[in-house]
Formats: sequence, C-alpha cells, structure tokens
Amino acid sequence: MEPRGSSGVGSGNSGTYTPEIAKSLRFEEEIQSLIDPSFDASSAAGGSFTALLGLPANQAVELLHHPGPGEPPASAASSSPTAGDLWRLRLGEHHAATDTLRLPFGCSSTFEERAARFSVFATDDSPASSSGGGLSPGLKAEPPDSDSQPTLPAPVGKPRRPSKRKECEKSKAKAVAKKSKSAEENTSAAKPAAEENTSGDKLPYVHVRARRGQATDSHSLAERARREKINARMKLLQELVPGCSKITGTALVLDEIINHVQSLQRQVEVRHLPHHYHHSLSLNNFLSMKLAAVNPRIDFSGLDHILSAECGPLAVDSGCGGGASDPTMWASDTAASTGGIRRMPAPPQIWHLDLVHPQQSSTVWENNGAAHPHFLLSTATSLVGYDPASSVILNSNQLKTEL
Amino acid sequence: MAAEMGLARSSRHWSRALRRRLLLLRRGTASDGCGCQNEALTSSKEGGDLGVGANEEEAVEVEARVRALQRLVPGGEELGTERLFEETADYIEALQVQVSAMRTLACLLDELREKRG
Repeated sequence: MEPRGSSGVGSGNSGTYTPEIAKSLRFEEEIQSLIDPSFDASSAAGGSFTALLGLPANQAVELLHHPGPGEPPASAASSSPTAGDLWRLRLGEHHAATDTLRLPFGCSSTFEERAARFSVFATDDSPASSSGGGLSPGLKAEPPDSDSQPTLPAPVGKPRRPSKRKECEKSKAKAVAKKSKSAEENTSAAKPAAEENTSGDKLPYVHVRARRGQATDSHSLAERARREKINARMKLLQELVPGCSKITGTALVLDEIINHVQSLQRQVEVRHLPHHYHHSLSLNNFLSMKLAAVNPRIDFSGLDHILSAECGPLAVDSGCGGGASDPTMWASDTAASTGGIRRMPAPPQIWHLDLVHPQQSSTVWENNGAAHPHFLLSTATSLVGYDPASSVILNSNQLKTEL
Repeated sequence: MAAEMGLARSSRHWSRALRRRLLLLRRGTASDGCGCQNEALTSSKEGGDLGVGANEEEAVEVEARVRALQRLVPGGEELGTERLFEETADYIEALQVQVSAMRTLACLLDELREKRG
C-alpha cells in the first residue's frame, strides 16, 4: 500500500494533483477508518481533501499539519468548529493507535508530509507544477528522513510545520542546487537548471540560492554554448572542404578553408581584391576562359546591348579552344577568329573601343574585378543575352594585347 | 552581371551582399567602402575566443585567419564568427555547384565545337 502510494505520488508530478490527491484521499480514508471505525467513508466521496475531511480547507490543512492532538495553530484554534475539535480529539485519542499504525505503514509520516505539501501548495495557490516536480525527488528523499523518526511524538506537530516548509523548500533548493551544480559541469543541463530556477520564483530564498549558484555560471555557460556553436560550424566546414577532417587545430583548418574558397573563386574567376590589379587577373581561370573560348553558334543579337553597355566586348571567338591559359594565343586567336563568324564586326569594334578608351576599359575592368564576376552563367547568358560583366575576359585579353 | 545575380540567391547573407555589390558596380559608383566597412563591429563581436584550446598566440593566429575569411566571403565583414562560418559553408557549396556547372558546360561546348569542326 505504501509503496503504491509513494510511486503514485512520484509519478504524477507534473502539476496534476488529482491522481495524487485521489490516492492520498484513499489513504486518508483508510487511516480514518482505522482510527475511527465509525467513520463513514462514504462521506468522503468528495473529490477534495476538504470534502473528505468534512472540514473547511484551512482546518483540513491544520489537521494535516498536525495529525496529533498537539497544539493546533492559533488560526485554526480561533475558528474551529466542533467538528474540527472532534476530529482533533479523535486523533488525540487514537494518537497511540496512529503511532502504532504508522509503524506498519512505515512511511505514513511521509504521506502526511506529502499531503501537507500538497495542501500547502493548494492554499498557497502557487503554480506548483514544477514545484511538485521538484518535490518528488525531494519527497523520495524524504522517506528515509521520516523513517528515521518513527516514534516521533505528536507534539512535534507545530515545529513540524515550519520544518516541513523548510524541508520542502530545502529539498527544492537541493534539487535546484544540484541541478545548477551539475550545470557547471555540463552545459546541457543548463537549460533545465534555468527552467527549474525560474520556476522556483515563488519561494524567495530558494530563488536567491539558486541564483547565486548560477549567476557566475551564466556567463561561462553562454560562453561555452557560443564556443560549442562555433565549433559545430567549424566541423561542418571541415566536412565540406576535402581533406580537412584529418587536420587538427583551428588555425590549420581555417587555412585549408581559406585556400579552398580562394581556389573555387579563382575557378569561377572571382576577385575580391579591392583596387589595383591591372595584371593580377592572371588567366589561370580555365573554366571561364574555356567557356569564353567556346561559343560556336550562339546568337549575338544582344551584341548591341553589350556594346552599348560599359564594356561591351563579349567573350569571343570560336577559334581558340582549350589551351586558354596562354594569353598570347588568346590574343592571336581572337584576332584570327574575327574573320570567321557573323560576330566579326564586334571584335574589331571592341578592339577599337578598347584602344580608344583604354582607361575606361581598365577602370571597368577594375570595377568588374572588384565585383567578383561569376562567370559561368555570365558567359552563358552573355552569349544569349547581354552581360557587361562578362567583358572581363575580353578585357583581360585586350589588356594583354595592349601590354 | 546577370549570371552573378544568378549565383546570388536571395536567401543568404553573402548572396545579398554580393548582389548589393554588383548593383553598386553596375551603377558605376565604385564604392570602396564596401570592402572594409564594419571591421570594428566584427572585432567587437568576435571576442577572440574561437578555439577551445586557444592560447594567446594561437588565438591571434586564428583571428587573423578569420579576418581573411571575412574578406573572402562576400558580406563577411559584418558577420560574427558563428554566422561567418555558416555563410562560408553555404558560399563554398554554391561555388562548388557553380564550378561543376561550368565544367559541364565547358565540356558540352567543347563537344559541340568538335562536332562542328
């Protein structure tokens, strides 16, 4: 019976007291029936403690707090009807019986404490859902404490009440403190500890206690969380960059990442250098040059737009293909290929443009370089449509020829 | 430019920054401020504690690399370290996609050219 009751109380700790209360009601009934055989259990059909006891709430609380006939608290004494007195008397009469009854129960005092806590919270009207949750570990810890005092005389009732309060608060603080301490070692417990802390707002000194434990930790916790986030991102990057997972050490890994980004950008012909680089755009961007080189039969109706734009010249020439890395070849090929296609007029014009306005082209080129043109789709679309930015390729050619 | 805009999908910080840069350049306003605008902001955000086991010199090294990465990634100047890494990952992915697409296109065009000629 007792273990059933304790387990029931322990399991239903998330703020719904009705199952626990129901079980404790049954306990009350049994105890009462034991204490007073004439007690009518049917009168306890009500769903609350007070209905069970047939007493107003505060007196029920008092009774729970002081199961013995000991000193009833002043408030209860002031407003106690005869029924309450009778009840207390009954309890007093059978005090010895209750004591003896307690022994076989083993933990009935714990039941009373539990009931007291529930009633405490019921009267306090606090959102004791998490408190109940915090209590259940405390409650489970309590049985040994109370078991150690089986023959506690009844008059301990009065000090019991404040002690019970302290106990429950202490247990709660213990739970919170334990959690905050474990949070020191383990950031994953930080959030539950924080929640526990915020839920303990109702009891002031518990709040203070936990806060003290956590105040110094909050910074380090935040720091640790941040660092872990950053390390997680670093791991992601390591996976992205080939060959990075073997490298240990933040700086080296970052080195690899930077190299990878730079190589990719170079392949797509992207430049992030701010200002001066007339010659820095070395033609090792195979892909863009290749694409520029290879555009056989693509419509150039958009040429007009291109020419009218800042730096009109398109990626040109069908003639030269692969070895685009050779600038001189480029130049010669572009020159040579002009004869081949209907685009013929374009390059000469472009050349002309370039020669006439070298500065303009160079500035444009600088601008474009700073713009980090991404050339894949740029070349493709430039072939199809208009794209002034793609001119960088031809500009580079032209610059080379100029040089 | 249109292609660069194509790369600059809108859902990412770096792509937005890239687009902004492109638009600025297209309009001809060569604003060099975009290159190094919010360094101070970034330094304040970083706080200097990157690696778990970072000593003083290592932290400085790591910091330097983070700054370099910021310069590489478009729009990275303004980002904190954590966000920077996120953007870098996405940027790397996008670049890789672009590179592979370019390679494919180049191969195709090569084939076309060879067929033609």
